[in-house]
Amino acid sequence: MEYQLNFTPIWEHRDLILQGLATTVALSISALVIAGIIGLVIGSVGTARSRSWRAGAALYVEVMRNVPLLVHMYFWYMALAFLQLPAFVCAMLGLALYSGAYVAEVVRSGIGSIPNGQMQAGLALGLRYFQTLRFVIYPQALRIIAPSLASLLSQLIKDSSLASVLAVAELAYQAGAIEGQTFRTFEVYITLSLIYLVLVTIVTQTITWLAGESESAAAQLSDA
Amino acid sequence: MPDVIVNNWAFLAQGLAITVQLSALTILAGTVLGLALGVARFLRVPVFGQVAAFYIEFVRGTPLLVMLFICYFGLPALLHFHTTAYRAALLGFVLFIGAYIAEDIRAGLRSVSAGLVQAGLSMGLTPSQVLRFVVLPLAFRRVIPALFNQYVRLFKFTSVASVIGVDEFTASALLINARVFSPVTIILTVAVTYLVLCSAISFVGRALYAHLAVRT
Repeated sequence: MEYQLNFTPIWEHRDLILQGLATTVALSISALVIAGIIGLVIGSVGTARSRSWRAGAALYVEVMRNVPLLVHMYFWYMALAFLQLPAFVCAMLGLALYSGAYVAEVVRSGIGSIPNGQMQAGLALGLRYFQTLRFVIYPQALRIIAPSLASLLSQLIKDSSLASVLAVAELAYQAGAIEGQTFRTFEVYITLSLIYLVLVTIVTQTITWLAGESESAAAQLSDA
Repeated sequence: MPDVIVNNWAFLAQGLAITVQLSALTILAGTVLGLALGVARFLRVPVFGQVAAFYIEFVRGTPLLVMLFICYFGLPALLHFHTTAYRAALLGFVLFIGAYIAEDIRAGLRSVSAGLVQAGLSMGLTPSQVLRFVVLPLAFRRVIPALFNQYVRLFKFTSVASVIGVDEFTASALLINARVFSPVTIILTVAVTYLVLCSAISFVGRALYAHLAVRT
Protein backbone atom coordinates (compact mmCIF):
# COMPACT_ATOMS: atom_id res chain seq x y z
CA MET A 1 0.00 0.00 0.00
CA GLU A 2 1.58 3.21 -1.17
CA TYR A 3 1.04 6.48 0.65
CA GLN A 4 -0.65 8.86 -1.76
CA LEU A 5 0.35 12.46 -1.31
CA ASN A 6 -2.75 14.62 -1.33
CA PHE A 7 -2.60 18.29 -0.47
CA THR A 8 -6.20 19.26 -1.33
CA PRO A 9 -7.58 18.71 2.22
CA ILE A 10 -5.00 21.20 3.46
CA TRP A 11 -5.99 23.76 0.86
CA GLU A 12 -9.60 23.28 1.96
CA HIS A 13 -8.61 24.21 5.50
CA ARG A 14 -6.64 27.28 4.47
CA ASP A 15 -8.83 29.52 6.66
CA LEU A 16 -7.57 27.67 9.77
CA ILE A 17 -4.00 28.04 8.59
CA LEU A 18 -4.49 31.77 7.99
CA GLN A 19 -5.99 32.20 11.47
CA GLY A 20 -3.03 30.33 12.92
CA LEU A 21 -0.64 32.45 10.92
CA ALA A 22 -2.26 35.62 12.24
CA THR A 23 -1.89 34.36 15.83
CA THR A 24 1.72 33.35 15.22
CA VAL A 25 2.49 36.80 13.83
CA ALA A 26 0.68 38.55 16.70
CA LEU A 27 2.46 36.38 19.26
CA SER A 28 5.85 36.93 17.64
CA ILE A 29 5.44 40.68 17.32
CA SER A 30 4.19 41.21 20.88
CA ALA A 31 6.94 38.98 22.28
CA LEU A 32 9.48 40.75 20.10
CA VAL A 33 8.51 44.18 21.39
CA ILE A 34 8.85 43.09 25.04
CA ALA A 35 12.05 41.16 24.31
CA GLY A 36 13.44 44.22 22.55
CA ILE A 37 12.76 46.43 25.56
CA ILE A 38 14.22 43.86 27.96
CA GLY A 39 17.22 43.38 25.70
CA LEU A 40 17.85 47.10 25.36
CA VAL A 41 17.65 47.72 29.12
CA ILE A 42 19.52 44.62 30.29
CA GLY A 43 22.06 44.87 27.47
CA SER A 44 22.78 48.53 28.29
CA VAL A 45 23.05 47.73 32.00
CA GLY A 46 25.49 45.00 30.98
CA THR A 47 27.88 47.68 29.73
CA ALA A 48 27.49 49.91 32.80
CA ARG A 49 30.57 51.01 34.68
CA SER A 50 29.33 49.66 38.01
CA ARG A 51 30.38 46.08 38.57
CA SER A 52 27.27 45.12 40.55
CA TRP A 53 24.98 46.39 37.78
CA ARG A 54 26.92 44.35 35.23
CA ALA A 55 26.70 41.30 37.47
CA GLY A 56 22.94 41.79 37.80
CA ALA A 57 22.52 41.92 34.03
CA ALA A 58 24.72 38.85 33.59
CA LEU A 59 22.68 36.98 36.20
CA TYR A 60 19.44 37.73 34.36
CA VAL A 61 20.91 36.57 31.07
CA GLU A 62 22.34 33.36 32.50
CA VAL A 63 19.20 32.39 34.38
CA MET A 64 16.81 33.11 31.51
CA ARG A 65 18.96 31.56 28.81
CA ASN A 66 19.65 28.32 30.62
CA VAL A 67 16.04 27.38 31.27
CA PRO A 68 14.13 25.73 28.41
CA LEU A 69 11.50 27.89 26.72
CA LEU A 70 8.88 25.27 27.43
CA VAL A 71 9.60 25.58 31.15
CA HIS A 72 9.36 29.38 30.85
CA MET A 73 5.91 28.99 29.37
CA TYR A 74 4.81 26.44 31.98
CA PHE A 75 6.06 28.79 34.67
CA TRP A 76 3.56 31.47 33.65
CA TYR A 77 0.82 29.02 32.76
CA MET A 78 1.02 26.60 35.68
CA ALA A 79 3.23 27.92 38.47
CA LEU A 80 1.58 31.34 38.31
CA ALA A 81 -1.82 29.87 37.49
CA PHE A 82 -3.39 31.93 40.29
CA LEU A 83 -2.81 35.03 38.14
CA GLN A 84 -5.32 33.55 35.66
CA LEU A 85 -3.44 34.92 32.68
CA PRO A 86 -4.74 33.88 29.26
CA ALA A 87 -2.63 31.24 27.51
CA PHE A 88 -1.61 33.72 24.83
CA VAL A 89 -0.20 36.09 27.46
CA CYS A 90 1.64 33.24 29.22
CA ALA A 91 3.23 32.17 25.94
CA MET A 92 4.08 35.77 25.10
CA LEU A 93 5.71 36.45 28.47
CA GLY A 94 7.66 33.19 28.42
CA LEU A 95 8.87 33.86 24.90
CA ALA A 96 9.70 37.50 25.68
CA LEU A 97 11.67 36.85 28.87
CA TYR A 98 13.57 33.99 27.23
CA SER A 99 14.38 35.81 23.98
CA GLY A 100 15.04 39.04 25.87
CA ALA A 101 18.12 37.44 27.40
CA TYR A 102 19.47 36.63 23.93
CA VAL A 103 18.69 40.14 22.69
CA ALA A 104 20.48 41.54 25.75
CA GLU A 105 23.65 39.64 24.89
CA VAL A 106 23.54 40.92 21.31
CA VAL A 107 22.89 44.50 22.45
CA ARG A 108 25.72 44.29 24.96
CA SER A 109 28.18 43.07 22.36
CA GLY A 110 26.93 45.72 19.92
CA ILE A 111 27.51 48.52 22.41
CA GLY A 112 30.86 47.00 23.32
CA SER A 113 31.92 47.09 19.68
CA ILE A 114 31.58 50.89 19.53
CA PRO A 115 34.92 52.51 20.41
CA ASN A 116 35.05 54.20 23.81
CA GLY A 117 36.06 57.44 22.09
CA GLN A 118 32.51 57.83 20.76
CA MET A 119 31.11 58.02 24.29
CA GLN A 120 33.87 60.40 25.38
CA ALA A 121 33.30 62.58 22.31
CA GLY A 122 29.57 62.72 23.04
CA LEU A 123 30.15 63.66 26.68
CA ALA A 124 32.77 66.21 25.68
CA LEU A 125 30.25 67.83 23.33
CA GLY A 126 27.98 68.39 26.32
CA LEU A 127 25.51 65.56 25.76
CA ARG A 128 24.27 63.74 28.84
CA TYR A 129 25.14 60.07 29.30
CA PHE A 130 21.73 58.86 28.11
CA GLN A 131 21.71 61.34 25.23
CA THR A 132 25.05 59.99 24.07
CA LEU A 133 23.68 56.46 24.24
CA ARG A 134 20.54 57.44 22.40
CA PHE A 135 22.04 59.59 19.63
CA VAL A 136 25.60 58.30 19.25
CA ILE A 137 26.01 54.75 20.50
CA TYR A 138 22.68 53.04 19.72
CA PRO A 139 22.41 54.08 16.05
CA GLN A 140 25.90 52.77 15.32
CA ALA A 141 25.42 49.62 17.37
CA LEU A 142 22.08 48.86 15.69
CA ARG A 143 23.76 48.72 12.31
CA ILE A 144 26.32 46.26 13.59
CA ILE A 145 23.88 43.97 15.37
CA ALA A 146 21.17 43.98 12.67
CA PRO A 147 22.16 40.56 11.24
CA SER A 148 22.23 38.99 14.72
CA LEU A 149 18.87 40.54 15.52
CA ALA A 150 17.43 39.12 12.32
CA SER A 151 18.68 35.70 13.28
CA LEU A 152 17.23 36.07 16.81
CA LEU A 153 13.89 37.14 15.39
CA SER A 154 13.77 34.09 13.16
CA GLN A 155 14.48 31.95 16.25
CA LEU A 156 11.68 33.73 18.08
CA ILE A 157 9.17 33.06 15.30
CA LYS A 158 10.10 29.39 15.24
CA ASP A 159 10.07 29.16 19.04
CA SER A 160 6.57 30.62 19.12
CA SER A 161 5.38 27.23 17.86
CA LEU A 162 5.79 25.96 21.44
CA ALA A 163 2.79 28.09 22.40
CA SER A 164 0.70 25.33 20.84
CA VAL A 165 1.51 23.27 23.95
CA LEU A 166 -0.49 25.79 26.01
CA ALA A 167 -3.30 25.45 23.44
CA VAL A 168 -2.70 28.86 21.90
CA ALA A 169 -4.27 28.51 18.46
CA GLU A 170 -1.22 29.48 16.42
CA LEU A 171 0.16 27.77 13.31
CA ALA A 172 1.43 24.54 14.86
CA TYR A 173 -1.77 24.14 16.86
CA GLN A 174 -3.98 24.65 13.80
CA ALA A 175 -1.83 22.20 11.87
CA GLY A 176 -2.50 19.62 14.57
CA ALA A 177 -6.22 20.36 14.32
CA ILE A 178 -6.18 19.94 10.53
CA GLU A 179 -4.23 16.72 10.88
CA GLY A 180 -6.84 15.43 13.29
CA GLN A 181 -9.62 16.13 10.81
CA THR A 182 -7.99 15.02 7.56
CA PHE A 183 -5.34 12.44 8.57
CA ARG A 184 -3.04 13.89 5.89
CA THR A 185 -0.23 13.67 8.43
CA PHE A 186 2.85 14.12 6.29
CA GLU A 187 1.32 16.80 4.05
CA VAL A 188 0.17 18.87 7.03
CA TYR A 189 3.53 18.97 8.75
CA ILE A 190 5.60 19.49 5.61
CA THR A 191 3.29 22.38 4.67
CA LEU A 192 3.67 23.75 8.17
CA SER A 193 7.45 23.68 8.00
CA LEU A 194 7.39 25.36 4.57
CA ILE A 195 5.16 28.15 5.92
CA TYR A 196 7.63 28.75 8.75
CA LEU A 197 10.50 28.64 6.28
CA VAL A 198 8.86 31.31 4.10
CA LEU A 199 7.93 33.43 7.11
CA VAL A 200 11.43 33.29 8.56
CA THR A 201 13.05 33.97 5.19
CA ILE A 202 10.85 37.01 4.55
CA VAL A 203 11.61 38.43 7.99
CA THR A 204 15.37 37.92 7.86
CA GLN A 205 15.64 39.20 4.30
CA THR A 206 13.61 42.30 5.19
CA ILE A 207 15.77 43.13 8.19
CA THR A 208 18.93 42.50 6.21
CA TRP A 209 17.63 44.78 3.48
CA LEU A 210 16.63 47.45 6.00
CA ALA A 211 20.08 47.33 7.52
CA GLY A 212 21.25 48.42 4.09
CA GLU A 213 24.18 46.08 3.74
CA SER A 214 22.54 43.16 1.99
CA GLU A 215 25.70 41.48 0.74
CA SER A 216 27.90 41.24 3.83
CA ALA A 217 25.02 40.87 6.27
CA ALA A 218 23.61 37.95 4.33
CA ALA A 219 27.02 36.30 4.53
CA GLN A 220 27.17 36.88 8.28
CA LEU A 221 23.62 35.61 8.69
CA SER A 222 24.38 32.36 7.00
CA ASP A 223 27.17 31.92 9.53
CA ALA A 224 25.09 32.91 12.51
CA MET B 1 14.23 20.21 49.74
CA PRO B 2 10.43 20.40 49.48
CA ASP B 3 8.48 17.23 50.23
CA VAL B 4 7.07 16.93 46.72
CA ILE B 5 10.56 16.61 45.30
CA VAL B 6 11.89 14.30 48.02
CA ASN B 7 8.91 11.95 47.75
CA ASN B 8 9.14 11.71 43.97
CA TRP B 9 12.90 11.76 43.79
CA ALA B 10 13.34 8.43 42.04
CA PHE B 11 10.74 9.23 39.39
CA LEU B 12 12.32 12.58 38.63
CA ALA B 13 15.77 11.03 38.47
CA GLN B 14 14.49 8.48 35.99
CA GLY B 15 13.17 11.27 33.79
CA LEU B 16 16.41 13.17 34.10
CA ALA B 17 18.33 10.05 33.09
CA ILE B 18 16.29 9.87 29.88
CA THR B 19 16.90 13.55 29.21
CA VAL B 20 20.63 13.08 29.68
CA GLN B 21 20.70 9.94 27.55
CA LEU B 22 18.71 11.59 24.77
CA SER B 23 21.00 14.63 24.85
CA ALA B 24 24.19 12.58 24.88
CA LEU B 25 23.13 10.41 21.94
CA THR B 26 21.98 13.47 20.00
CA ILE B 27 25.22 15.32 20.69
CA LEU B 28 27.25 12.39 19.37
CA ALA B 29 25.18 11.70 16.27
CA GLY B 30 24.41 15.37 15.63
CA THR B 31 28.08 16.31 15.70
CA VAL B 32 28.93 13.57 13.22
CA LEU B 33 26.08 14.63 10.92
CA GLY B 34 27.02 18.29 11.28
CA LEU B 35 30.66 17.53 10.51
CA ALA B 36 29.73 15.59 7.36
CA LEU B 37 27.32 18.27 6.13
CA GLY B 38 29.61 21.14 7.06
CA VAL B 39 32.66 19.65 5.33
CA ALA B 40 30.60 18.74 2.27
CA ARG B 41 29.32 22.28 2.00
CA PHE B 42 32.72 23.79 2.66
CA LEU B 43 34.44 21.67 0.02
CA ARG B 44 31.51 22.20 -2.39
CA VAL B 45 31.32 18.45 -2.98
CA PRO B 46 29.21 18.01 -6.15
CA VAL B 47 25.56 17.05 -5.49
CA PHE B 48 26.13 16.21 -1.81
CA GLY B 49 27.22 19.78 -1.09
CA GLN B 50 24.10 21.20 -2.72
CA VAL B 51 21.87 18.69 -1.00
CA ALA B 52 23.53 19.64 2.29
CA ALA B 53 22.96 23.34 1.62
CA PHE B 54 19.28 22.79 0.82
CA TYR B 55 18.82 20.54 3.83
CA ILE B 56 20.48 23.05 6.18
CA GLU B 57 18.32 25.91 4.92
CA PHE B 58 15.19 23.82 5.28
CA VAL B 59 15.92 22.70 8.84
CA ARG B 60 17.05 26.13 10.02
CA GLY B 61 13.74 27.57 8.86
CA THR B 62 11.66 24.92 10.63
CA PRO B 63 10.70 24.98 14.33
CA LEU B 64 11.96 22.06 16.39
CA LEU B 65 8.41 21.13 17.37
CA VAL B 66 7.47 20.76 13.70
CA MET B 67 10.61 18.70 13.12
CA LEU B 68 9.52 16.32 15.90
CA PHE B 69 6.01 16.12 14.45
CA ILE B 70 7.45 15.26 11.05
CA CYS B 71 9.62 12.54 12.56
CA TYR B 72 6.93 11.13 14.85
CA PHE B 73 3.78 11.47 12.73
CA GLY B 74 4.77 12.45 9.19
CA LEU B 75 7.60 10.16 8.15
CA PRO B 76 6.14 6.94 9.64
CA ALA B 77 2.89 7.64 7.76
CA LEU B 78 4.69 8.41 4.53
CA LEU B 79 7.15 5.53 4.62
CA HIS B 80 5.06 2.97 6.50
CA PHE B 81 7.15 2.18 9.52
CA HIS B 82 6.50 2.10 13.23
CA THR B 83 8.47 4.15 15.65
CA THR B 84 8.49 5.01 19.33
CA ALA B 85 8.31 8.53 20.68
CA TYR B 86 11.85 8.22 22.00
CA ARG B 87 13.31 7.14 18.65
CA ALA B 88 11.35 9.77 16.75
CA ALA B 89 12.58 12.44 19.17
CA LEU B 90 16.16 11.23 18.83
CA LEU B 91 15.89 11.32 15.02
CA GLY B 92 14.29 14.77 15.09
CA PHE B 93 16.91 16.21 17.44
CA VAL B 94 19.81 14.80 15.43
CA LEU B 95 18.40 16.08 12.13
CA PHE B 96 17.67 19.44 13.76
CA ILE B 97 20.88 20.14 15.63
CA GLY B 98 23.02 18.59 12.86
CA ALA B 99 22.03 21.42 10.50
CA TYR B 100 23.04 24.09 13.02
CA ILE B 101 26.30 22.34 13.86
CA ALA B 102 27.05 22.06 10.12
CA GLU B 103 26.85 25.83 9.75
CA ASP B 104 29.11 26.38 12.77
CA ILE B 105 31.64 23.92 11.43
CA ARG B 106 31.57 25.53 7.99
CA ALA B 107 32.19 28.93 9.57
CA GLY B 108 35.09 27.44 11.52
CA LEU B 109 36.56 25.87 8.39
CA ARG B 110 36.29 29.17 6.53
CA SER B 111 38.16 30.94 9.33
CA VAL B 112 41.31 28.92 8.59
CA SER B 113 43.49 31.11 6.39
CA ALA B 114 44.27 30.09 2.83
CA GLY B 115 48.00 30.53 3.50
CA LEU B 116 48.00 27.53 5.85
CA VAL B 117 46.37 25.37 3.19
CA GLN B 118 48.95 26.51 0.63
CA ALA B 119 51.75 25.85 3.11
CA GLY B 120 50.44 22.34 3.70
CA LEU B 121 50.12 21.62 0.00
CA SER B 122 53.59 22.97 -0.77
CA MET B 123 55.04 20.69 1.91
CA GLY B 124 53.76 17.76 -0.11
CA LEU B 125 50.61 16.88 1.81
CA THR B 126 47.69 15.71 -0.28
CA PRO B 127 44.49 17.81 -0.13
CA SER B 128 42.80 15.27 2.14
CA GLN B 129 45.83 15.28 4.44
CA VAL B 130 45.72 19.07 4.58
CA LEU B 131 42.08 18.85 5.56
CA ARG B 132 42.74 16.15 8.13
CA PHE B 133 45.93 17.52 9.76
CA VAL B 134 45.79 21.29 9.19
CA VAL B 135 42.33 22.65 8.55
CA LEU B 136 40.13 20.45 10.75
CA PRO B 137 42.21 20.63 13.96
CA LEU B 138 42.44 24.43 13.73
CA ALA B 139 38.78 24.82 12.81
CA PHE B 140 37.72 22.44 15.59
CA ARG B 141 39.41 24.56 18.25
CA ARG B 142 37.78 27.74 17.02
CA VAL B 143 34.40 26.09 16.75
CA ILE B 144 34.27 24.74 20.31
CA PRO B 145 32.38 27.72 21.82
CA ALA B 146 29.77 27.64 19.05
CA LEU B 147 29.54 23.86 19.31
CA PHE B 148 28.90 23.95 23.06
CA ASN B 149 26.31 26.69 22.51
CA GLN B 150 24.47 24.23 20.31
CA TYR B 151 24.84 21.48 22.92
CA VAL B 152 23.32 23.73 25.59
CA ARG B 153 20.54 24.69 23.20
CA LEU B 154 19.90 21.07 22.44
CA PHE B 155 19.85 20.10 26.11
CA LYS B 156 17.14 22.69 26.72
CA PHE B 157 15.28 21.64 23.59
CA THR B 158 14.99 18.04 24.77
CA SER B 159 12.20 19.31 27.00
CA VAL B 160 10.10 19.65 23.84
CA ALA B 161 10.18 15.85 23.52
CA SER B 162 7.62 15.81 26.34
CA VAL B 163 5.09 17.11 23.81
CA ILE B 164 5.25 13.93 21.70
CA GLY B 165 5.17 11.78 24.83
CA VAL B 166 8.77 10.99 25.70
CA ASP B 167 9.01 10.40 29.47
CA GLU B 168 11.92 12.76 29.95
CA PHE B 169 12.53 15.17 32.78
CA THR B 170 9.90 17.81 31.96
CA ALA B 171 7.27 15.16 31.25
CA SER B 172 8.00 13.40 34.57
CA ALA B 173 7.72 16.68 36.44
CA LEU B 174 4.41 17.50 34.75
CA LEU B 175 3.12 14.04 35.60
CA ILE B 176 4.04 14.49 39.26
CA ASN B 177 2.34 17.87 39.20
CA ALA B 178 -0.78 16.30 37.76
CA ARG B 179 -0.83 13.92 40.75
CA VAL B 180 0.12 16.10 43.70
CA PHE B 181 -0.52 19.59 42.25
CA SER B 182 2.29 21.74 43.51
CA PRO B 183 3.12 23.71 40.35
CA VAL B 184 5.33 26.43 41.85
CA THR B 185 7.71 24.02 43.56
CA ILE B 186 7.83 21.59 40.68
CA ILE B 187 8.32 24.10 37.85
CA LEU B 188 10.98 25.96 39.82
CA THR B 189 12.79 22.70 40.58
CA VAL B 190 12.73 21.82 36.89
CA ALA B 191 14.01 25.29 35.96
CA VAL B 192 16.85 25.16 38.49
CA THR B 193 17.86 21.68 37.38
CA TYR B 194 18.09 22.73 33.74
CA LEU B 195 19.90 25.89 34.79
CA VAL B 196 22.55 23.95 36.71
CA LEU B 197 23.06 21.33 34.01
CA CYS B 198 23.22 23.88 31.18
CA SER B 199 25.76 25.90 33.15
CA ALA B 200 27.75 22.70 33.61
CA ILE B 201 27.79 22.06 29.85
CA SER B 202 28.87 25.66 29.19
CA PHE B 203 31.57 25.28 31.83
CA VAL B 204 32.94 22.15 30.17
CA GLY B 205 32.97 24.00 26.85
CA ARG B 206 34.90 26.95 28.28
CA ALA B 207 37.36 24.65 30.04
CA LEU B 208 37.94 22.63 26.87
CA TYR B 209 38.41 25.81 24.84
CA ALA B 210 40.92 27.17 27.34
CA HIS B 211 42.70 23.82 27.47
CA LEU B 212 43.05 23.57 23.69
CA ALA B 213 43.81 27.25 23.08
CA VAL B 214 46.87 27.82 20.96
CA ARG B 215 49.54 29.35 23.14
CA THR B 216 51.77 31.72 21.27
